[in-house]
Amino acid sequence: MTDHRQTRRPYLRGALAALLLASCALFAAPQPARAAAPEQPETVCIQCHGTLPDRLGAPVKLWRTSIHSENGISCNACHGGDPKDAADAMNRARGFLGAPKETDIPAFCGRCHPGVMKDYLASAHGKKLGMGGPHCVTCHGNHQVVKASLDLINEKSCTRCHSFERARAIRDAMQQTEGYIVGIDRRIKGFQAEGVDTDRLGKGLFAVRNRFHTLFHDVDVARVKAESAQINVELGKLDRDLIVIEQARVKRKQAGGFAIAGALLLAVLFHLMKKTFD
Amino acid sequence: MENDGRRKFLGVCLAGASVAAAAAAAYPVFRYLAPRSDAQGAKKIEFAASDLPEGEAKFFEYAGASAVLVKTSAGAVIALSAVCTHLGCIVQWEKATQDFLCPCHAGRYAPDGTVLSGPPPRPLAKIPFTVADGKILVG
Amino acid sequence: MGLFKRLYDWIDLRIGAREIVKKELTGYLLPRNINEWYSLGSVLLVIFALQVATGMLLMVYYVPDADKAFKSVTFIMNELPYGWLIRLCHAVGSNMMVAVLLLHMLSTMMMKSYKSPRELNWVTGFILLTLVQGISLTGYLLPWSQLSFWATTVATNSAAAIPVAGPYLVEFLRGSKLVGPPTLGRFFAMHVGVIPVIIAGTIAAHLFLLKRTGISTPPFGAKDAAETGAPWQPESYHYQGHPGGIPFFPNYALQDLTSISVYFAVFLAVVFYAPNLLFTPDAFVPANPFQTPAHIKPEWYFLANYQTLKIFPSELLGLSVQAAAMTFLALLPFIDRSPERNPLKRPLFLVCAIGGILLWLGLTIWGHFS
Repeated sequence: MTDHRQTRRPYLRGALAALLLASCALFAAPQPARAAAPEQPETVCIQCHGTLPDRLGAPVKLWRTSIHSENGISCNACHGGDPKDAADAMNRARGFLGAPKETDIPAFCGRCHPGVMKDYLASAHGKKLGMGGPHCVTCHGNHQVVKASLDLINEKSCTRCHSFERARAIRDAMQQTEGYIVGIDRRIKGFQAEGVDTDRLGKGLFAVRNRFHTLFHDVDVARVKAESAQINVELGKLDRDLIVIEQARVKRKQAGGFAIAGALLLAVLFHLMKKTFD
Repeated sequence: MENDGRRKFLGVCLAGASVAAAAAAAYPVFRYLAPRSDAQGAKKIEFAASDLPEGEAKFFEYAGASAVLVKTSAGAVIALSAVCTHLGCIVQWEKATQDFLCPCHAGRYAPDGTVLSGPPPRPLAKIPFTVADGKILVG
Repeated sequence: MGLFKRLYDWIDLRIGAREIVKKELTGYLLPRNINEWYSLGSVLLVIFALQVATGMLLMVYYVPDADKAFKSVTFIMNELPYGWLIRLCHAVGSNMMVAVLLLHMLSTMMMKSYKSPRELNWVTGFILLTLVQGISLTGYLLPWSQLSFWATTVATNSAAAIPVAGPYLVEFLRGSKLVGPPTLGRFFAMHVGVIPVIIAGTIAAHLFLLKRTGISTPPFGAKDAAETGAPWQPESYHYQGHPGGIPFFPNYALQDLTSISVYFAVFLAVVFYAPNLLFTPDAFVPANPFQTPAHIKPEWYFLANYQTLKIFPSELLGLSVQAAAMTFLALLPFIDRSPERNPLKRPLFLVCAIGGILLWLGLTIWGHFS
């Protein structure tokens, strides 16, 4: 409004315009956008096979959505070889195993999953290995292995070799317990997202769940039914622990309600008091 | 003036509400800072020494989780948590190799709990115990 | 009551308490058309005090060591009586601080309280905004969860786009090439010692400037033109008083207390009923430097910055645009020199302001869903 201020304005505006233009000029040399890239390096296996086409690259795409990938387990964990040095990545002298023959598959997976392997080899399925019977990959796949659930026992999969009757019997026997497990898992995860220390409960559930799923590999309905009772008892214990937490949470919410009501009461009282001075 | 009466009444209400609010805030802070009594010990469990033959392991429940008592072929007695430190499965005692094997992902532990191979990140937790008069008291 | 009077007289004899009370409290006059927005400053003071108090309490049990930090926070949340309450108050409080601060900025901007002679108030306020962002960023890392670790990695990475000094700056910020124990050490020192002290000092400056210049008059709601105050004449300093105004104590002090109580109601509602607004499940998984979780996003108040960086193909451009915007905001009192304070009479300002706010909101929402 007054003159001396007006004369100063153009300089400031000019300075700002120059700043903006300068920042435009600075990125004239294009820089690649830096995505929030993971800081951990991928194994050389993925780095190479991830770029290959067709049969050689397909496993990488499948693996990326697997539970192994989620837990940082790459190709070398099953196939051996050096995961850091491309020269030795497929060197048999460095432990590379290649793709297993059909009869070697249970031992391949069983290196890390010995409990399941033991049950499988003793089962009707295991006894037919190499003679048209199913192995791990038949039901679980080889690269896109996902978290096991009852969905793996389905009509389409099991009727490849026999009628669905037997499979349905086992599936029905496992249904209730599986539902119980899934429910408890959901509640544990819910609590974990609220900061509850679910370490002991989570581990306990994991142990029970694995024991339960391993049961199936024996494909023995009687055994499943017998052990399910024991497993349900363990699940009941976890359930009770969760209920204790849930009750504590309800109490907190009630206390919170009182606190909020108290704050609102204070607000109303202060406001009324203020009005007496207006 | 009517306002005076109102002010006194509101003043009293406010004083009361403020004191209640202050107490409600002070109590949790006091409890939070107060020194805690030592963590409640889990119930101790007793075994007869003769119940545990050499080279064998005995599984039992302690402090709400699975635990194991081992007597190595050298005669040493060790009490450990049987919960695998990887994801929580219960480890199994392998008599042939005299070590622990976790059936879930093949974690292997020595009789004293140290990790021999596999994914477990830490050794099996030790549990304190005493041996006296042919009895083993765990806890 | 006789005892109180005798005590008051004893103190008054030594420091002239009555005079202080008359000057700062009962005799401190505020404009008649003052509104509730003016109480946001005292709400912010209370929030800051609460953050310091809960922060000190957390420090009693928190361990700033990369191996122990997460466990100590889990201990506070699960084992300590009311530890969960202290932690949640601190976490929710930090978000509330930013939210109320933005509202305070909004109201001072809209009521043009940044204009002469109050430019320095705006500048110190802007410095406070930056400091609060800094203290929030450093605090975020301390629980050492997956969310803490990776959000800090992404946030510190963005400095790498600065030409020449960028990568070294990132390493200096982190104390090592990647986020790790050195980062925790310096972030803890900043969060607990350095930044709170600077904030306290800046608040003191901010309040001193406010008291020394005199509080502004809202540019509307006045009974007559004289109450909006005559335009400032820059010949010499004089305190902008409000003769005939309402006393701060007890009148406006009660308004402050009302606003603080309303704030507590909202604050406690979030603490007890919706703490998960601010925590994703990754906040309760210990940091794993070898596994990046799928969806790492910064806190809501940084989402607009995050989305801006994603829009521009060059990170440097994205940073520059933000730097320019922040500079513009910081220098607002020097850019907008018109003495007219009623926003309804400044259509260009209103369009720019509302446009800017909508842009920020839009980017934030986009950032949330992207």
